[in-house]
Amino acid sequence: MGVGTILQIDIVGWLSGLPSWIYLVISGLFSLVWAFFNWIWSIVVWFWALAISQIWWLFKAIVFPGLVFILFSIIFSVWFTRKVWGRVQARRGPFHLGKYGGLQVFADAIKLIGKEIVIPDKAKRWMYRILPSLLLIAVLVPFAFIPWSNEWYIADLSVSLIVTFAFLTVVPVVSLLSGWISGSKYTLIGGFRAANNQFAAEIPLIISSVGPAMLAGSLSIMGISQAQSSLWYFLLLPVNCVTFMVSATVITALVPFDAPVADSEILFGWRTEFSGIYFTMTYFAEFAKQLLFSGLIVALFFGGSYGFAFMPPVLNFIFKFLIVLFFMILVTSSFYRMRQDQVTHFCWKYLLPLSLLNVVIAMFAIVYVPGLAQLLGIGG
Amino acid sequence: MCPEIVDEAAQVWFGPQHVSAHGWATKLTIVGDYIVECDPNAGYFHRSAEKCLEFRNFQQGALIMERLCMLEAFLAEYPYVKAVEQIAQLDVPERARVMRTIMMEASRIHSLQFWWGQFGAELGLFAMTLWPWVDREYFLDAFEELTGSRHAVSYSAPGGVKYDFNEKSIKMLERALDRLEDRLPKFRDMILRSPTFKLRTKKIGLFDAAQGLKWGLSGPNIKACGIPMDLRKDDPDPNLAYEMCDWEVPVTTNEDHPGQCDAYDRMSQRFKEIETSASIIRQLLPQVPEGPIIDPKARAKANRLPEGEAYGRVEGTRGVTTLFLKTADKAQTPYRAKIRGPCFASYYSLKHLVPGSTFADFVVIFGSLDPYPGWWDR
Amino acid sequence: MSEPDIYLTTVSPSAVAQAVRSKCPDVTQKSMQGNRLELIVPPSRIRDVVGLLNELISDALPESVFGIDLQNDRYELIYVFWSHLNRMLCQLRVSLEGTVPEVDSVCDIFPGLEWHERETHEMFGIGFKGHPDLRLLLLPEELSGKYPLRKRFKTDRSRLSETGLPEARPGSKEAET
Repeated sequence: MGVGTILQIDIVGWLSGLPSWIYLVISGLFSLVWAFFNWIWSIVVWFWALAISQIWWLFKAIVFPGLVFILFSIIFSVWFTRKVWGRVQARRGPFHLGKYGGLQVFADAIKLIGKEIVIPDKAKRWMYRILPSLLLIAVLVPFAFIPWSNEWYIADLSVSLIVTFAFLTVVPVVSLLSGWISGSKYTLIGGFRAANNQFAAEIPLIISSVGPAMLAGSLSIMGISQAQSSLWYFLLLPVNCVTFMVSATVITALVPFDAPVADSEILFGWRTEFSGIYFTMTYFAEFAKQLLFSGLIVALFFGGSYGFAFMPPVLNFIFKFLIVLFFMILVTSSFYRMRQDQVTHFCWKYLLPLSLLNVVIAMFAIVYVPGLAQLLGIGG
Repeated sequence: MCPEIVDEAAQVWFGPQHVSAHGWATKLTIVGDYIVECDPNAGYFHRSAEKCLEFRNFQQGALIMERLCMLEAFLAEYPYVKAVEQIAQLDVPERARVMRTIMMEASRIHSLQFWWGQFGAELGLFAMTLWPWVDREYFLDAFEELTGSRHAVSYSAPGGVKYDFNEKSIKMLERALDRLEDRLPKFRDMILRSPTFKLRTKKIGLFDAAQGLKWGLSGPNIKACGIPMDLRKDDPDPNLAYEMCDWEVPVTTNEDHPGQCDAYDRMSQRFKEIETSASIIRQLLPQVPEGPIIDPKARAKANRLPEGEAYGRVEGTRGVTTLFLKTADKAQTPYRAKIRGPCFASYYSLKHLVPGSTFADFVVIFGSLDPYPGWWDR
Repeated sequence: MSEPDIYLTTVSPSAVAQAVRSKCPDVTQKSMQGNRLELIVPPSRIRDVVGLLNELISDALPESVFGIDLQNDRYELIYVFWSHLNRMLCQLRVSLEGTVPEVDSVCDIFPGLEWHERETHEMFGIGFKGHPDLRLLLLPEELSGKYPLRKRFKTDRSRLSETGLPEARPGSKEAET
């Protein structure tokens, strides 16, 4: 006692000031929250106004030619592929769940999503989690440029063809990366093979699409498909159509060229270590790619929504789209797998010169065949 | 191998969980896309069949033998039965001889159909897996009708066979043959003239006959080189009925590389094997004589065997299949039984065949040799 | 279409026996039945005899090598060769004695016998001098050096402790028997 100073606290005075303190703190917090809500609400109002003004576009982007439609058509194409493969292989394909096994794919998707995710010890966990989503996004975005008809489309850029190819170039990078980060030798080999496939087939693919772009005088997929109102480019560029389709098969890694995911050699290639939802994403991305290329083939070579007058334009496009898809599935169920070096040889030795040749011939035809340019609606 | 290459080499285990390594494992050393060293590992299926045989009596032994290779069950159990018959000096009734031969050839066809479907899947065409497997079901149905079991047939017994042909089983066998003969030429065109099949198999896994014999290869792998080495003709078996019909040993000769064979030749050789087997069955079916199917005293005689040694051999689907049997006097069980499976050699030969080929061709090389792990692991 | 070279020379079983016995007089011949030739070869001469067979029979197929445990540390090795051209089955028998018997390896003459020798080594404990690679072939690591195909390797419960498997629970049916 009596050592040093004892700090005297006026405890009564302090207590009497407490309510005003509490009031201050609460009102400060409240005003913060209020401001935050106001800010959010202003965004909502702005967005709502935007959405109301763009409701038509929003509907298209989300429902009909957009996300929902594409997801359902991916699921349909999985079912369709299984059914066609089943018929080719002397069996029935899915038939238990739903009519003609239509619900089987949904059941499989739920099963795959519900599976445990096993990440290998040597895998890079961050990349492992991100890459499949990245892949699916990169494949789904170009669907915005597919012109289902003159009204039903999501976006139309003047360079949409180029943008589509740019997005597709992301795919092998993702494949290579996911093969690399999975921490397995089989996936690494698969990743390199996927990159090699893209390397082999990209040039023939782009050269083949030069033909339609040149004839239409446009780099927009919409513009190209509109330019075919009187004459399908398939008639003018048959070889280009075939080379485009074959290169698309190579890039999608479908059966004659499926070395990147050759199950008897390297298990599932770069997809081996993915499990659960990640595997589902990569699996769906493959089918999405197949659908995308079918759409591109219809838009570039088979007149887009033009053709059969008795059908509405959208149905016209979808009808041709299904035929092309069916043809692609049929082709992929009837060849043996080629070796990686053979794929490269095939693409560079045969596809590339053929696609160039057809472009050159079409050029000369426009110049020297009278009336052709007028029919196509260019120059003249 | 020079040291710089080894520095870049990666070691990859092909199996045992790999889908096309059917439970076995091979260690491959890879540089780039090329395999520089191949070390086949056996033992993943080892069930110590030879030791087991020492504790089973002479009726039971055949059951263990057929479980080594379920695909050619009729053929696999035969060397044991043959060796027992040799030591006990049993006579086989005429009817049983012919029936055995017929069923062994049917088993060969069925095994080859299975192999060819599997080879199709290994090459990436899954449709080619299922088409022959549909035809194979007809043979399996016939086996089931005859023996009551699709795979573990246990048909031959010392001194004869266990189950008699009836009208229905003959009809089912004929139906299977009809379907086979109808579809085989189409399949041969579809496979051997397919450009992608040629791309994958020509000049792949090339070896010459002298080298293959040194490795111990036999059966279709050697016949594809142009050498008619076939125990059915070379070492005629008095307990089988191959001399009752007219047939030639099928061989494949290739003008591009005489005396050698690649995966393509081995495929076409196996088609010829199927044709030969079908024609043998067709010739033998009307010739099945009447009579007993088993010597009534055989069971008693095979109960205790005198001291002796016998070497039972048969031309299996995959090559020379033999069983060495040594018995002590009045023994109920063998003193020593040594099984020689044909795939022991073909799996070993991967060690010499594979280095230098690409990783993708490894599947084609081992697929074309028709390996079956039961035969080397036993 | 030229026939492959290995088709050219044929040789009869008796000629083979004669050639072998003139080179290695301590080889004895068992009675020949049909196309089967059986030679009893002392362990030291096996390389000579197999080398000679390789020269004489142009298409010799090395079918197998296997051991037989004759008990009391006596073993027998049997080499089997088949010649399609001569329709000849040639068996060589080698008698061995000792706890760790040894014989020369012939896998450089016939590479196909490499694995057969490996298997005989792990199953019977017969050593092969000059064999490049005598790792275990079929057996798991814990059976290394146990030589399971020897007759003294019992497979009943008396050896259960060596396997590392748990004993049967006391009171269970298995423990009573």
